[in-house]
Amino acid sequence: MSVSDGRRAVQLSINRDAQEMIDLARAEGIETVWDRLDAQQPQCGFCALGVSCRNCAMGPCRVDPFGEGPTKGVCGAGADVIVARNLGRGIAAGASAHSDHGRDILEVFASTARGETTGYRIADEGKLRRLAAELGVDGDQRPAGDVAADVADVLFDDFGSRKDGVSFAGRAPAARRARWQELGITPRGIDRENVEMLHRTHMGVDNDHVSLLLHALRTGLSDGWGGSMIATELSDVLFGTPSPVLSEVNLGVLRHDQVNVALHGHNPVLSDVIVAAAEDPELVDLARSYGASGINLVGLCCTGNELLMRRGVPMAGNHLMQELAIVTGALEAMVVDYQCIMPSVTDVAACYHTKIISTSDKARFPGATHLPFDPRRGAEIGREIIRAAVEAYPDRNPDRVHIPVAPVRWMGGFSVEAILGALGGSPEPLVSAIASGAIRGAVAVVGCNNPKLPQDYAHVELTRQLIEHDVLVVVTGCAAVANGKAGQMLPESASMAGTGLRGVCEALGIPPVLHMGSCVDNSRVLVLAGALADFLGVDIDQLPLAGAAPEWYSEKAVSIGAYVVASGVTTVLGVQPPIFGSPRVVDLLAGGLDGVVGARFAVEPDPSRAAALIRRHIEEKRRALGLPFEDPDSIAVTAPAAPVG
Amino acid sequence: MRTVFVNPERCIGCLQCEIACATEHSSSKNVASAFLEAPQPRARIHVEPGPVPSTAYPNRCRHCDPAPCAQVCPTGAIHRDRGLGVVLVDEDRCISCAMCAVVCPFDAVTFYPSAAGPGPEVAVALKCDGCVERLRRGQPPACVEACKVGALVFGDLNDLVAAGRLRATAAVLAATAAAPPGPPDPLAAWHAFGAELVAAAGHAARPTHDRGGER
Repeated sequence: MSVSDGRRAVQLSINRDAQEMIDLARAEGIETVWDRLDAQQPQCGFCALGVSCRNCAMGPCRVDPFGEGPTKGVCGAGADVIVARNLGRGIAAGASAHSDHGRDILEVFASTARGETTGYRIADEGKLRRLAAELGVDGDQRPAGDVAADVADVLFDDFGSRKDGVSFAGRAPAARRARWQELGITPRGIDRENVEMLHRTHMGVDNDHVSLLLHALRTGLSDGWGGSMIATELSDVLFGTPSPVLSEVNLGVLRHDQVNVALHGHNPVLSDVIVAAAEDPELVDLARSYGASGINLVGLCCTGNELLMRRGVPMAGNHLMQELAIVTGALEAMVVDYQCIMPSVTDVAACYHTKIISTSDKARFPGATHLPFDPRRGAEIGREIIRAAVEAYPDRNPDRVHIPVAPVRWMGGFSVEAILGALGGSPEPLVSAIASGAIRGAVAVVGCNNPKLPQDYAHVELTRQLIEHDVLVVVTGCAAVANGKAGQMLPESASMAGTGLRGVCEALGIPPVLHMGSCVDNSRVLVLAGALADFLGVDIDQLPLAGAAPEWYSEKAVSIGAYVVASGVTTVLGVQPPIFGSPRVVDLLAGGLDGVVGARFAVEPDPSRAAALIRRHIEEKRRALGLPFEDPDSIAVTAPAAPVG
Repeated sequence: MRTVFVNPERCIGCLQCEIACATEHSSSKNVASAFLEAPQPRARIHVEPGPVPSTAYPNRCRHCDPAPCAQVCPTGAIHRDRGLGVVLVDEDRCISCAMCAVVCPFDAVTFYPSAAGPGPEVAVALKCDGCVERLRRGQPPACVEACKVGALVFGDLNDLVAAGRLRATAAVLAATAAAPPGPPDPLAAWHAFGAELVAAAGHAARPTHDRGGER
């Protein structure tokens, strides 16, 4: 019997839609992520501790964390080097994923500038011209296409080796940039830092864990202020800069009487043309001819977040909902691009009429229908995909349709521009609310779902406790969806907040939990933090801010953690990273970094304790800034809960 | 008496003992080809997860003396090698009645076809044979050789028990501050995280406020 046998659905997720679908999947004998986690128990402790290495063929090696067996790999690397190398490679993989996404957007942007695409246009010309000015491109009096082509040229160079720093790193406060320079961790080129990370972690290159970890931070920075920021900014130019929008969330957004199409993955570049295709009268008529009343697009994961932010498209769920969305029996097609799409979706879909439609040549799914993306034929491919989904509708078995709950309303669309807009154009109202203590500080709750933890429990509980104590929360990615489902992301959710935060939210008409977008949109959090620091004339690490990734699972999350901390924001992780086999690496990341970048990591799976740790941190920052503060030690950190049998 | 002793608190669930065991009981003795053999070689040690994540116990035949399995075997297929101190199954005489599994205090007997058995379709009792071939060559059992954390150790039983006693002594004295504590235990946090996961599942299952979304 495995550890989790007998874990009831209520222990696997806090959400009724997930619980009902887990029970249904079990009743139908359909394997899901939780079954596979059970089957993996016990998971390898060497790997969990980070002390196994497969980097060369003298190995594979592992060192004994007890110190009695081998303490070095064949090459002589001890736990410190092995752990640091593994962490560095993970960060490079995460940064590469975000940055390659950024490059894909940049390529479509450049092609659109040259007039080579269909279905795309410069949607936010104002933002294009602002970017042009920032990047030193002549933006006045020239056609938007010409300006865009020059902007694209500048940003293509950010991926290479010719620069001393990526363009958008210039947005960080001067003090922060000086610190990066001093430490030698200014991100120079996006691909360069990632390639150098792989080089350094080859056997016999960087054999010093401190040096490896510093480069790992630089690699992360090349993502946050590089690849991810390019993805965000150019997506805004191509598809529109988000502004507040109401929508709905959870599996209840699926419709009994419509062709349901879920858009899953991360890249908005194709899904945006699909939105247009779903409104094509010819395809809507086709759907009606099969007895459906229309075509219903829903989002999953970060493609869903991108579409929510700009189009108000309803959201079916976050990471752990991807298999369960199919189990509703109501999904005609799941259109996938890349990242976080479980290879199992085709297996689950094979139990239903659902078509999995893959769209990226980088991300193939045996058993899926492959309709590769080509920006020159964007509009046409969008229609092909919607047509394939509509054609699946007659195969739906109404007896197997089970849409579990009614949707919950939520609000998205808080780009930095939208937040500053809500504040009247300047960070001043937010800064003065923080200065007065009405708002204690701000926390970014971000990251994934992880089946090791009850789905969304830590996201929702941590966020709720923070807003109750007047901490403004911004969210992205799966963490955003979790809070949306919990009903914490509406203007009227301000009633859940403490008096101070509630007052500010009600005055501005904003929720206490602001949706800033997808996981690449964590770059928006950096821009906002930088703007607040600049307004106050301080560095980011002096601000009463924190980050939290309560349910992270992905290498991208590790990269995000690296750039957030390297940018000066202390971050609490809810799941242990595989570093505990090296006490020196742990000491550095959880302590020593504070003296270097002014921020550090902490690990705390219990959301109540994490909330207390974060509030203490915020009050310490307030004290240092000379703002009214609570004694950090007066904030109780409850004892860890006793295991429940 | 030489035996394989288990330090369960050291097991980190890597399953390398299982892979080494299955390979040792293959025809090729090579991990890269063993898994392609038919019948497939089977591990006779089983690492089962504990009650919370980050805990596990490698379970194998304890080679009891007297051995209940040998006592009940109706065909006399199970016997003891006194010299090596191991209980062995003569797979050709096994009739798969499973009486040995019924009486085994550790549920250490499984039934699968074996290369040494009567045929590729016939399941026979498979259990740890103490790696007799290795013992005869003066090598430790394959599982012990694979274990790099000291969860599985081979030697004279009383020596192994004494080693555990000495570790316990150090831990007790450190806990009572009669001796300086050792370096931080890198595994403590890992084990604690497993316990936290179980606690979180319990907390999440306890509704504390309206989650919304109900119809």
